[in-house]
Amino acid sequence: MKNYEMVVGLEVHAELNTATKIYCSCKNSFGSAVNSNCCPVCTGMPGTLPTLNEKVVEYAVKMGHALNCEINPVCKQDRKNYFYPDLPKAYQISQFDIPLCGNGYLDVILDDEGTTKRIGVTRIHIEEDAGKLIHDDSFAGSLVDFNRCGVPLIEIVSEPDMRSSAEAKAYLETIKSILQYIDISDCKMQEGSIRCDINVSVHKPGEPFGTRCEMKNVNSFSGAVRAIEYEAARQIEVLENGGVIHQETRRWDDPAGKSVLLRSKEDAQDYRYFPEPDLLTIVVPEQKVKDLRDTLPELPQHKTLRFMKELGLPRFDAGLLVDSMEKGAFFDACVALGSCKPKNIANWLLGDVSRLCNEKNLALADTELTPEKLCGMIAMIEKGEISGSAGKTVVEEIMFSGKNAAQVVKEKGLAQISDAGALEEIVKAVLAANEKSVADYKNGKTNAIGFLVGQCMRQSRGQGNPALIKELLLRHLG
Amino acid sequence: MELYEMTAAELSRMMQAGKCSAEEAARSVLGRIDQVEDKVGAYVTVTGETALEKAREVDGKRAKGEKLSPLAGVPIAVKDNICTRNVLTTCSSKMLYNFVPPYNATVMDKLSDLVVVGKANMDEFAMGSSCETSYFHKTANPHGLDYVPGGSSGGSAAAVAAGEAPLALGSDTGGSIRLPASFCGVVGLKPTYGSVSRYGLVAFASSLDQIGPFGRSVEDVAMLYSAICGKDPMDATSADRAYPDFAAALCGDVQGLRIGLPREYFGKGVEEETRRAVMDAVKVLEKKGACVKEISLPSTDYALSAYYMISSAEASSNLARFDGVKYGFRAEGCEGLTELYERTRSEGFGDEVKRRIMLGTFVLSSGFYDAYYKRGKQLQQQIAAEFSAAFEGCDVIATPTSPTTAFRMGENLGDPLKMYAADICTVTVNIAGLPGLSIPCGTGANGLPLGLQLIGPKFAEQTLLNTARAYEIETGGFRAIPEIH
Amino acid sequence: MKIDIQHIAKLARLSIPEEKAPMFERQMEEIVAMCENMPEITADFDPVDPAHPMALRRDEIAPSFSREDILRNAPQSQAGCVVVPRTVE
Repeated sequence: MKNYEMVVGLEVHAELNTATKIYCSCKNSFGSAVNSNCCPVCTGMPGTLPTLNEKVVEYAVKMGHALNCEINPVCKQDRKNYFYPDLPKAYQISQFDIPLCGNGYLDVILDDEGTTKRIGVTRIHIEEDAGKLIHDDSFAGSLVDFNRCGVPLIEIVSEPDMRSSAEAKAYLETIKSILQYIDISDCKMQEGSIRCDINVSVHKPGEPFGTRCEMKNVNSFSGAVRAIEYEAARQIEVLENGGVIHQETRRWDDPAGKSVLLRSKEDAQDYRYFPEPDLLTIVVPEQKVKDLRDTLPELPQHKTLRFMKELGLPRFDAGLLVDSMEKGAFFDACVALGSCKPKNIANWLLGDVSRLCNEKNLALADTELTPEKLCGMIAMIEKGEISGSAGKTVVEEIMFSGKNAAQVVKEKGLAQISDAGALEEIVKAVLAANEKSVADYKNGKTNAIGFLVGQCMRQSRGQGNPALIKELLLRHLG
Repeated sequence: MELYEMTAAELSRMMQAGKCSAEEAARSVLGRIDQVEDKVGAYVTVTGETALEKAREVDGKRAKGEKLSPLAGVPIAVKDNICTRNVLTTCSSKMLYNFVPPYNATVMDKLSDLVVVGKANMDEFAMGSSCETSYFHKTANPHGLDYVPGGSSGGSAAAVAAGEAPLALGSDTGGSIRLPASFCGVVGLKPTYGSVSRYGLVAFASSLDQIGPFGRSVEDVAMLYSAICGKDPMDATSADRAYPDFAAALCGDVQGLRIGLPREYFGKGVEEETRRAVMDAVKVLEKKGACVKEISLPSTDYALSAYYMISSAEASSNLARFDGVKYGFRAEGCEGLTELYERTRSEGFGDEVKRRIMLGTFVLSSGFYDAYYKRGKQLQQQIAAEFSAAFEGCDVIATPTSPTTAFRMGENLGDPLKMYAADICTVTVNIAGLPGLSIPCGTGANGLPLGLQLIGPKFAEQTLLNTARAYEIETGGFRAIPEIH
Repeated sequence: MKIDIQHIAKLARLSIPEEKAPMFERQMEEIVAMCENMPEITADFDPVDPAHPMALRRDEIAPSFSREDILRNAPQSQAGCVVVPRTVE
């Protein structure tokens, strides 16, 4: 990348999780037996007509709000004409010159300080997905499964505002997170429910943007990063060797780790867009536009920033909490109780609580844990009533038994000994039994203190207050 | 008088009075088909067996006193571009020579207790004005077998004129109901765009297509139109409104009716005998209390151009799905996908269809959209606005349906522009989305029928039907079914 | 207006034999010539009509068609799918 700057723009296609398809009442579902979710409409039989699913419009408007778009309350659909066996009508119903949403932006978080960058969102439009072609080596031809025909999609087109693969990745991850937060897409990458096309160009700083190439068929975010890196490097190499970049469409082959030419600009498809005559004007009433905005939850990028800037969490922790809507909400409920430090709450939630959930393959809601119980326990640690290691035992109990922390501590005798008199005996005994460590410490090996604290903790069966023990040890050694 | 000579209204009354059965009516019509079909060629498919089954079913229901529609048991011919479940639907094209839809057009569901006697021949994919571009055979005009029946719904019109069905459904994109109605001497109605569901009508030009009725009387057309109109949730372009019972409200009163005569429809290209017949018809209405005034629709001259831009553009997209993959004809022995597409489409479509597809592809293609398609759409808005303005000063516009009587078979086949000129009086109605009705108004020197076209504002079908009814009462109604030898 | 008939045919996935190309070309040029007499309209074409908004469909599942009905018109089918010549990307 030396001496070059890259410019990246993204077109994200997300399948919407409506009950039915966009233009017919067939079930919208993944993984059904071939050609089992089909009717004359979605298989393009002669004489059939589309009817637009109201939820598709609502979902797209919600996404428009989430990406700060202007909503076009009066818009239309257009036909994009091309021949391919997975497109039974030989045209895709899409939106051309008047998309449902336009002119928005997304602020993505770039670093640990919470620096954000604003990526422009050119437009969001609704359209239908195509079917699937199945290639089986046992057979000379290809098979067409029409189940995916008519699955609703939104296409989110960004401005060419990204300058690195990392920015692109942050953008994609934020888009995915938003789709999940507003619950309009399942976002299952392995099922192809989010796909993207990537535009990349390179230029020397201070010079105008270079000619861009488009890469199709990118099915994962890590693939997107590889595709961008590869394409930028390819273009730089061409330029460095005195060549020119031609505007072209390339296909990203992720397993092979390279892009291959699909078609040049000269062969660009002429899609012959024109207004879809089978559908009338889409009109979203002003009140509905407003109501849909009111349904939006706090968006993930805003939550992350709040966790970082107001609650002092590191970006990594904030990101993990926000990634799971459930954990994010649980964390917020804990913080609202005001009884313990946010960082401690995050540590427990992302540490032992998450580990235990994962081990048992449970969601938080499947356990007995409540914000009150978790904070009750953390508060006990913060006050020195129990040790952190005792907390590990307590948390497991309160997650699965329904008891609260105080009960567990009492039953299991886990209360921390913070009585200097009681600990004094232990400290003396440990010092007497570990003369070598005492000598080491006095010879400057200060980390020997850790060993001694550990020995005292063992003697107290984990109930000694480690801070107090250390203080007593230092006094004796001092 | 044979049952096949009766109107649908007469048959309906007889059946309800127990004077004939649906089976008898079906047998009479099927007998007539046997008698004349080899000369007329109105049908692609005659569905004799299923027709008799349906007739017996209706008779059984009537015997049990079950609720039936007013036209229950009446035989009907259905244009072969309207999908009929489990019955071959070809659009008179090689491309769909074997297509059997697993679904019904909405109109077929609405007409479920009528007796479908067959699927009527047409110009291939409804593109044509003569019924000569059918892949299967040509249809003859029952009034002169050397003449065309008009198109594209030529089979439907010929069937009704020849007594091969009392009723028929057609479709009209630029005149395809009214022109053959005029040429064959029957009544045909192209309804307001959006009043009849297009679901299951194989699309030619989606923004212009409309299904409509043929009959030998205005009452029959009113009855059939009442049966098929209405909002359909399967067709987003169908209008959400309530419709009256058009037949019940039918009356021949035109007292005070304001009839506009647009001068552009009586000018160059319109035969003198046509002009005179239409003016005579208007005089009949005037005598019954209508008042007549001359009006102007200045953009009429450009209507044909706008029509060909819009209809071809939409057709090029609508007909792209016929590619040999999912249904219908597939060229044999193709190596790759491109060859499969190109050979299937080249072998499966006739020349007229190819011409329209290419014209439409051209007007939508990069660099030409604004100059052609968009200008066509602009003109469409202008034409619609001129009609709206005209209807402020009149209730009905009267014109010839066609500048001439039917032309001879083969006469215009090699010359698309001459063929297209047959639609000169009818296309404006589709472009503006208005209702238009054609009713016979005398004959030309060659003995062939002429038609009077009545155009109304949107959803003014009742006015058109009443005006036509007034004329019908004064002039004695339809001519006898011709003898066909 | 000169029309490149072979280019248009290719876009429309038609193959026009050489001997027929001149006929189609002439006929289409005549039609296009007729259409070129369309007047220039200054009024802008409005592609949307908010006065007639479209009723939208409720998101409720209706039964799909059987696979047999979906495939019964297909020229070639196998393993529950329509068969086409191998598509290579």
